[in-house]
Amino acid sequence: MVQDSGKTLYTGIIKPLNIPEPVNVSEDKTGLPVSVRTSRRRRVVLLEDRWRIDDEWWRNEPVARLYYAVLLDNGQRMVIFKDLTTGQWYQQSC
Amino acid sequence: MKVLCVLIPHFPLKCEIMRNGDLQNRQIILTRVAGAKKLVLDYTPELAGLQEGMPLQQAISRYEEVTLLQADIPYYRSTFSQILDLLEKKSPLVEEAEPGLAYLAADGLQLIYPDDNALAACIRETLPAALAARIGIAGGKFPAYLAALYSQPGSYRILKDRDTAFLAELPCDVLPVSLKIKKRLHDFGLHTLGRIASLPPGPLQSQFGPLGRKIWELALGYDNTPLYPRPAAETIEESTVLPSLITSLDALSLACEALLSRVFARLAQRKLGILSLTLWTMSWKTEYWEYRISFKEPAMHVHNILARIKSVLENQTQPGPVERLGLKITRVGYQYGQQKSLFPEVRDRDHLQESIKQLNCRSGSPQVFQIKEAEPWSRIPERRYILASLNH
Repeated sequence: MVQDSGKTLYTGIIKPLNIPEPVNVSEDKTGLPVSVRTSRRRRVVLLEDRWRIDDEWWRNEPVARLYYAVLLDNGQRMVIFKDLTTGQWYQQSC
Repeated sequence: MKVLCVLIPHFPLKCEIMRNGDLQNRQIILTRVAGAKKLVLDYTPELAGLQEGMPLQQAISRYEEVTLLQADIPYYRSTFSQILDLLEKKSPLVEEAEPGLAYLAADGLQLIYPDDNALAACIRETLPAALAARIGIAGGKFPAYLAALYSQPGSYRILKDRDTAFLAELPCDVLPVSLKIKKRLHDFGLHTLGRIASLPPGPLQSQFGPLGRKIWELALGYDNTPLYPRPAAETIEESTVLPSLITSLDALSLACEALLSRVFARLAQRKLGILSLTLWTMSWKTEYWEYRISFKEPAMHVHNILARIKSVLENQTQPGPVERLGLKITRVGYQYGQQKSLFPEVRDRDHLQESIKQLNCRSGSPQVFQIKEAEPWSRIPERRYILASLNH
């Protein structure tokens, strides 16, 4: 019998793309984003869209996100979301 | 033929306790899935009245306050394989009868071990103490098994030639025959091996046919069943923890492709192809599923195997969203014939693949990836596409 069965457990052969990146967002009293800090703080001038995703509710870490498509004061469009389970804001391209 | 039997009762349970010491003093039932049913695989010995293969509902109705655990069958197999590896260092001929039961050929070891006590003590020290293995040595597989079965946990028993006094007291239920035959033996008043052995073989043969003679021989402690040592075959295992729960066939196929690429990265240097493989998945809540795939001729390319795997995945339902996926290559072989392509574009592709393979070998990990659709319909953006290693 061969000593080394060659058994390996890899996690790096498949990688997800478009992983959410944490971003610093200031909210108003109602929880809407008012400014986003990227390289410098930018004011949100328009909320172009808003949608919610709830998925994998059967797991210990369900997916519950509130997405906003925002227009910043420098003309940049950005998609951000608030993780409703942790309260953390993220940036993600959709 | 002198045989040494290693018996580890409740092996799956002991594996779980070795992995997680907190389970030591808890009452546990290990469950496995068989189709739509959940069955008992193993249980804490104190839970009287349970037996392997019993429907889980029946078991729970008897014991409400037990901890239920899903069986991690790949882990048990891997652990037992390691035990067999240890045993093979003591004797080259080791038979894997079932998880928790192994036989060793003990003939010819007298130059290393002066007597059976030294051999049994050596085997006992080889095995982890937490398994409390029982060891039996006798002149055949069946008496060696009985010797192990009736020894103390973590201890051993040696049966000298035809130790009829020990065997005579044992119930006929220890015989490896069907329940129906055991019941008939009881109906005849043959409750112990001693009662069976006291008869001439003729009446037993007239009642049970050829099996009657076998029963009579086993009752006398004579068993000439040969030992079937496990083959010295090379196995290759590749498995991956998926970045998220996978429910789509396309994503599963992609993961399989990535694993196959890794397998072929190993095999290609030796010009070997795959003759047989086992595809397994571990679903959410650790439900295990496996499927064995064989090929008439060694499959030399990822895409040949992938087509077969895709058809299997389409026809077989997974027990749940998949968290882990693995391939176990059990048989490999040399290809029967190969002619290189005449077309330059095919040769260019081969050159590119060779360059990628060398790059990966130098760095020790996949360096070139390609973007593939995993679940393009997913509402969660990071689930839609994945990066799969390109090393084939």
